[in-house]
Amino acid sequence: MIINFTVNNTKYTLDVDESKRLLDVLREDLGLTGTKEGCAVGECGACTVIMDGDAVHSCLIMAGQLEGRNIETVENLEQNATLSKLQESFLKHGAVQCGFCTPGMLMSAKALLDKVPNPTLAQIEEALEGNACRCTGYKPIVDAIQNVGKV
Amino acid sequence: MNIVGKKVVRLDGYEKVTGKAIYGDDIQLKNMLYMAQKYTDIPCGKIKKIDISKAEKLEGVVKIALHKDVIGQDKIGPIRQDQFVICKDKVYYSGDVVAIVSAISKNIANLAANMIEVEYEAGKGVFDITESAKDETLVRPEYETNVVVHYPLRKGDVEKGFAECDQVIEREYKTGFHEHGYIETESLVAVPDPTCKGVKVYGSVQNPHTTRREVAKFLGLRLNQVDVRCSNLGGSFGGKDDTVNAVACRVSMLAMLTGKPHKISLSREESMKESYKRHPYLMKYKVGFNNDGKIKSMKVDILADSGAYSAQSFFVTWRSVVQATGPYEIDNVSTDIRAVYTNNTYTAAYRGFGSPQIIFAQESLMDEIGELCGLSPLEIRAKNGYSQGSVTASGQILDSHKVSLSEVIKKATDDIKYSEKIAKYKKFNAENDRYKKGVGLACSFRGCALGAEGTDATSAIVSVQQDGSGYVWTGLNENGQGLRTTFAQVATECLGMKYEDMHFLEPSTAAINDGGPTVASRGTIMGGNAVLNAANKIKQRIFDANKDKLGVDSLDDTTWGNGEIIGKNKISFKDACTTAYFAGYNLSAYGWFKAPEVSWEEETGQGNAYFTYVYGCQVADITVDTHTGKITVNKISAAHDVGKAINHLGLEGQIYGGVTQGMGYGVLEHYNIQNGVVKSKNFDEYIIPTIKDIKEISPIIVENPDAIGPYGGKSIGEPTLELGAACIANALNNATKKRSYEIPLTLEKVYLGKQLVKPERASEAHKGSKDVKDIISNVTMLNPKSLSEACQMLTSNKNSQLIAGGTDVVIELRCKQSPTTLVNIDQLPELKGIAENGKTVVIGANQKINEVKENSIVQKHFPALVEAISTIGAKQTRMRGSLAGNIANASPSADSLPPLVAYGAKVLLVSQNGERTVDVDKFIVGGYKTDIKEGEIIKSIILPIPEKNYEYSYFQLGRRGAVNITRLSLLTMCAKNSSGILESVIISCGALFVKPCRLQKIEELLINQKLDSALIDKAENLLADLIEEQIGGRWSSEYKKPVFINLFKDSLEKFI
Repeated sequence: MIINFTVNNTKYTLDVDESKRLLDVLREDLGLTGTKEGCAVGECGACTVIMDGDAVHSCLIMAGQLEGRNIETVENLEQNATLSKLQESFLKHGAVQCGFCTPGMLMSAKALLDKVPNPTLAQIEEALEGNACRCTGYKPIVDAIQNVGKV
Repeated sequence: MNIVGKKVVRLDGYEKVTGKAIYGDDIQLKNMLYMAQKYTDIPCGKIKKIDISKAEKLEGVVKIALHKDVIGQDKIGPIRQDQFVICKDKVYYSGDVVAIVSAISKNIANLAANMIEVEYEAGKGVFDITESAKDETLVRPEYETNVVVHYPLRKGDVEKGFAECDQVIEREYKTGFHEHGYIETESLVAVPDPTCKGVKVYGSVQNPHTTRREVAKFLGLRLNQVDVRCSNLGGSFGGKDDTVNAVACRVSMLAMLTGKPHKISLSREESMKESYKRHPYLMKYKVGFNNDGKIKSMKVDILADSGAYSAQSFFVTWRSVVQATGPYEIDNVSTDIRAVYTNNTYTAAYRGFGSPQIIFAQESLMDEIGELCGLSPLEIRAKNGYSQGSVTASGQILDSHKVSLSEVIKKATDDIKYSEKIAKYKKFNAENDRYKKGVGLACSFRGCALGAEGTDATSAIVSVQQDGSGYVWTGLNENGQGLRTTFAQVATECLGMKYEDMHFLEPSTAAINDGGPTVASRGTIMGGNAVLNAANKIKQRIFDANKDKLGVDSLDDTTWGNGEIIGKNKISFKDACTTAYFAGYNLSAYGWFKAPEVSWEEETGQGNAYFTYVYGCQVADITVDTHTGKITVNKISAAHDVGKAINHLGLEGQIYGGVTQGMGYGVLEHYNIQNGVVKSKNFDEYIIPTIKDIKEISPIIVENPDAIGPYGGKSIGEPTLELGAACIANALNNATKKRSYEIPLTLEKVYLGKQLVKPERASEAHKGSKDVKDIISNVTMLNPKSLSEACQMLTSNKNSQLIAGGTDVVIELRCKQSPTTLVNIDQLPELKGIAENGKTVVIGANQKINEVKENSIVQKHFPALVEAISTIGAKQTRMRGSLAGNIANASPSADSLPPLVAYGAKVLLVSQNGERTVDVDKFIVGGYKTDIKEGEIIKSIILPIPEKNYEYSYFQLGRRGAVNITRLSLLTMCAKNSSGILESVIISCGALFVKPCRLQKIEELLINQKLDSALIDKAENLLADLIEEQIGGRWSSEYKKPVFINLFKDSLEKFI
């Protein structure tokens, strides 16, 4: 079916396979492989993208539900060859190890910061509770988000 | 030092924060085909027939390969080659592969795999290690015994030792399987390479040279015909070795057979089933000691579950035999460890590698010995712990490095204020009934690198360019742990370069010699030395070329740093490189490091097992809810002697991550496998720690530079994981005075003293269940413009179903094979809105859970609903899932239902035939069953505004800090008059019975009464009968009944 939607500020009209999920459309149809699949059942958050301002699991949204939607992925964070403060903060605080959960973490964090520029610890934990990381023990990620303003 | 010892931003950070880093599944090649693996349908038995005729006919299928198509050696394995890459005539565990499919798309490959029919003769199977050790049924008759390997260790005379002791005790400890839980599953690409008539392999490979060896063997190729290159690894922790090798063999085989590139990425379910785990151990300890606490004699007998294959059991259990008695000097030791075959998931390397199990046992034992001698955990360890010059169980004298056991114990316990907390919590626990607090510690010594388990040498190449920039690449690989960064630091520190001038190349196996696997926390100490070796060669050459300019005769008279070389004169590193280049010097050097001599006597287990050791201590501060068995970890202080910190940032990250994995191992992670059938299929059933599971971790870096390590650095990866379970178990004992001899410390284990899982009958396991792929196919999406159009679409399309947020529907689609028409009501405006309407509040069916939660009207009138729905899934789930969807899914543990039932909510249903209103309570008819009629859509949820002023108490029990499938929930709402009489009582429960419901009999008992303890006791008896009546016979009631009663009483007591 034909869908019209926006990804990273670019409008697309795509003929999509209706059995695909948003995750597949991003990775396969648009070549945006920054968004990862970890579990496909909404448990790990590696596939998190921002849809109309909210952090969502791209593995649980069907392609046919995308009409008119506005999607933002990790590929949109660096602009004009400059990393966002959030990305810089992730690097500075050691919030990245294997990096596989990182795109999802960044998008959950960005969705939060877009709404709440100075979040409390509880707000950060709530925003990231659905993003599993097996490497960092989460602490450096929390540090990175709490200190975005200081980068 | 300029770079070593600093906080350095990781070298591969940029690509990882921009989504540009390439992982296995990100590789896309022209004309690429896809592989699917047909797994066995039963865990154990003979293959009678494989019918691929239907699958072959599916359009888009290119090839289906079976065992008969294998070109080279059909079995692989690191020591004993006992794993059939594609099963021949038998299957040995649930993750065995019987056929592989090549197709033009991933979905077609998977659909074809589903169509392969296999007939079996089911085997009896061996699933218990004690049974296996009896050798009555042989898992692998060809090896004549189930014992894969047996390591003995003998020091002194244990029997004589026991005879001389004041006290002798015996204890038995048990640990379970442990899944690595890397977020990236196994993902591999194989490309035919006509230049050498071989194959190139890319993907999630931890040890490329090992993978190369196995692929070459399997394809009957020479090593130089196979080239393996790692992509970025999305976590490994020891886990992307043997299984990845097997998958690499299969995908390479298809590439060779078809001449086309192939890719496979396992689904999480496949990864959980096929990939190896940490070995479960059954450990018997007998220990003799004097009343002063001095341990004289220890006998250890360990059985390890190797599962279907020997894999790394030879190595894993060897580390255990060296370290089984812990960092304690004991004159008489006798240790035996045996790994045995079973038909369970096979086991191999996982961060820790045979140490977390024995540390749990020995550190539990130490605390208990202390208790029996009236000594504190600190005193008993001080009495027996290693100090400089101590002799280990294998007879090794610890004198070549700083033995820092007492230092790490002191630093960790000081950090957490151990002694202060012991006293404080003793008082707290005396005053509190439900919640108990405790602190516990665990310490360890750990041999660095491979030790006497195998050849230990590794490779590196450093190459400096004429402009002063450089490359480093090594025989060891980045697993995510930060090896690229560490090696770049070592090289640039040595050469005085700027850190940012060094680039790490991920080499293919053709580009560097086999440097052994990236395991055993050997990266820094072994690989760092190889890098240093290479860098020093180049340094000498640059000096030779620039000697005159520098004005000194010896390299020793120069200093190198910040991009400059200083002798008598100062020159820039860049200029020095240019000079050396034009003078014809070779600015590339091969570095090699071979570990110092170690030794091992196989018969006696005596020898210098490792050339150096690290020491660590972790202390846990926990709170235990004794009414549910739930452990909350408040803090873990982790002190680790690393020799020298190369990158502080990476080092702290290793500690945070390892501690968290250790907590998961100790408390949460229960790999449920019954009679060989894997029940923990995905991350909903196998739960790893979330951001909410450890409140605080305090990393304490202890530095005692090692004589051999590069710049004094040793190891950190594995020590961080091995202590968590042990210190939490000791803290649990400190809190509750009840010791657990088994991990993980699940709710049931803590509360009941045993693990409780849904039993699988052996007869069912034999039958197996067909291996069906979790894929979505055959979906048609309809997007109605209005509610009436949606109703019409739903009625006129066969097999149609609604989709809104999709958080349940899409998961179900993965298990569904038949064509499905989805009617998407996600954005229908008629289903939106929350409005106060006189005496009711109407919530549109499409209101997302988060919207309901944040709505001020709902917050004002229905606070219990807000609290309850706050724990549904993850934040992302609540942003998409609708309240109506949570109702319609009708899960027994749906968090919205207890409050909706309590508030007397109704659902308004609409169809082409009109509208009807039903009480939520009646709408839910059972587990996952509702009264929805064909063609009906929930339009809204109608909540009557409570007339009375209710106080409420809500409790939700989940296994971890967030993203739980609710284990039990209870909502109590009471309205009292001025004299304390209960004018209204509403009690509703979740996850207890087949559906959430009100406990009306209890409510009737309590109404118009004044609550006191006698009434609560009466209500308790009634509740006990009610639970017994409804779920008494169920496997879970043993836990749920007493715990729900506890919650019920706690809840009512709040209203007295």
